[in-house]
Amino acid sequence: MIASVAFRNFKALRETSLILAPFNLVIGPNGSGKTSLIQAMVQLRALARLPLRELMPDDERHPEGAEITFRFQPPFDGLEASLSCVSESLCDFLQVTPLSTGGGVDDWVGLRARLLSLKSYRFNHEAIASTSALKDGGELAPDGVNLAAVLFTLRNTNPNIFECFKAELLRIQPEYDEITLIEQADHTIALGLRLAEGAEVVPSDNLAQGTLYLLAILALAFDPEPPAIVCIEEIDRGIHPRLLREIRDLLYRLSYPASTGDTRPSVQVVATTHSPYLLDLFRDHPEEVVITEKHGRTAHFTRLSDRADLAALLEDGSLGDLWFSGILGGVPDEQ
Amino acid sequence: MKLAVLSESPADEAAIVVLVEAVIGGHFKHVRPGLRARGWPSVAQVLPSIIRHLHFNTDADGLVVVVDSDDSVVHNAEHDAPGYFHPQCRMCRLRAVFRQTTKKFPASHGRSRIFHGVGIAVPAVEAWYLCGCDEQVSESAWVAGQGTGQLPYTRAELKFRVYGTDRPNLQLEIQRAVEEVRRQRHDLRRLENDFPSFAALARDIRGWNKNS
Ligand SMILES: [Zn+2]
Repeated sequence: MIASVAFRNFKALRETSLILAPFNLVIGPNGSGKTSLIQAMVQLRALARLPLRELMPDDERHPEGAEITFRFQPPFDGLEASLSCVSESLCDFLQVTPLSTGGGVDDWVGLRARLLSLKSYRFNHEAIASTSALKDGGELAPDGVNLAAVLFTLRNTNPNIFECFKAELLRIQPEYDEITLIEQADHTIALGLRLAEGAEVVPSDNLAQGTLYLLAILALAFDPEPPAIVCIEEIDRGIHPRLLREIRDLLYRLSYPASTGDTRPSVQVVATTHSPYLLDLFRDHPEEVVITEKHGRTAHFTRLSDRADLAALLEDGSLGDLWFSGILGGVPDEQ
Repeated sequence: MKLAVLSESPADEAAIVVLVEAVIGGHFKHVRPGLRARGWPSVAQVLPSIIRHLHFNTDADGLVVVVDSDDSVVHNAEHDAPGYFHPQCRMCRLRAVFRQTTKKFPASHGRSRIFHGVGIAVPAVEAWYLCGCDEQVSESAWVAGQGTGQLPYTRAELKFRVYGTDRPNLQLEIQRAVEEVRRQRHDLRRLENDFPSFAALARDIRGWNKNS
């Protein structure tokens, strides 16, 4: 979907660019641009909603203003979208220009429709655990607050997909044998999981945080109409290290649907993490790992696969340990 | 018999259980939860603690460890010479960890030490799964490739041949692993012949009864 992003003067991203893969795991210290990358994509979506403006005359441009330039995968590789920004962090102007090569030059409408479907998540277990109004059961909210209603709707409208969702949940968390979604008198939906032993239903506000995050990620992975692009911050949040493999598999299900025999289009995923255990799982695919680095007030991106000596380094250490040690970059400055 | 298995993933563990039972010729009780390491060198790092724990805190009879060789030096008959130790060979390394860790252990739970079995999958456990199906794949082909610098296949290629994708999910990995080792479990001669670093594990296990 998005082929590359180039930044100029956007927060700490003074002059850096990044080629995006179908799946991207972004690691790095706080304030190094992980969230800025996602914010830039969200701003692109926001500005794509508005009618396009005419080319901005040079004298109106803010010379030091931030600029973010996106290029796209085929069939939209003939278009470039640039965000110009009034300040270091707020972009207010989207310009779409045709490139000399590539397709889709006349199909901003098509590209726009895909960009508008972009979703950005930063799940919160308290939000996920809350009861939600039945009428809110459309798209999953950025913090997961309407999860119960989303699942209730999925069960009604796509019972087969709901059964797959449930089977996957119960396989990963075999201590449960049923998911309960009950419409209450006030038309809110209450979510619970039934214990396999004793048949007691654990209400959502008593579920483990990791289980709540897993439910939200599963809901994304089994979305019957997935967006073109999904950004998820802190994907490892609350998840037991041994279950991170399941999380990776769920995200791959979105990015590489063919790997699970699925025929729907691929969803581009940008996920951030601080977990060395999750990073370990990308040893065979270093091209999917983006390292954000901050030197002073300036941050930039590198791809793990750009490290020529990576194979040799991996002979003596796991990826997570190598990252923690500092030799891969992407670690906080220390006094 | 009660055994612990230390492996790199639940899929590896599922396959190792089938293979170990095939060597033993029967079922064994499993130490729960399954032991997991995050690849080499984490296996070598956690192994002494695991051996200590199993010896003093459990009634396990033995521990089976299987790791991928990746690009490391492959164990051979020369390494088996008395007192020999190759620092880049994972078989030599793991055997040394067992020796050193258990040297001064007092008896516990009615046994002087726990049995150990070490297997190295060259270059990855998927090569074992392909044994008997893919003539190209064998430990000697890999070692010859290391010698000439022309490896016959990559680990990624082996994975693709087994799973049909380079991004298998855990369920698919477990399913394929178990299918392939069940195919081989009734006659392990081919696997032992083509993969001496599996044969070494089988020998370790067969030696347990004689030593018990
Ligand atoms: Zn050796």
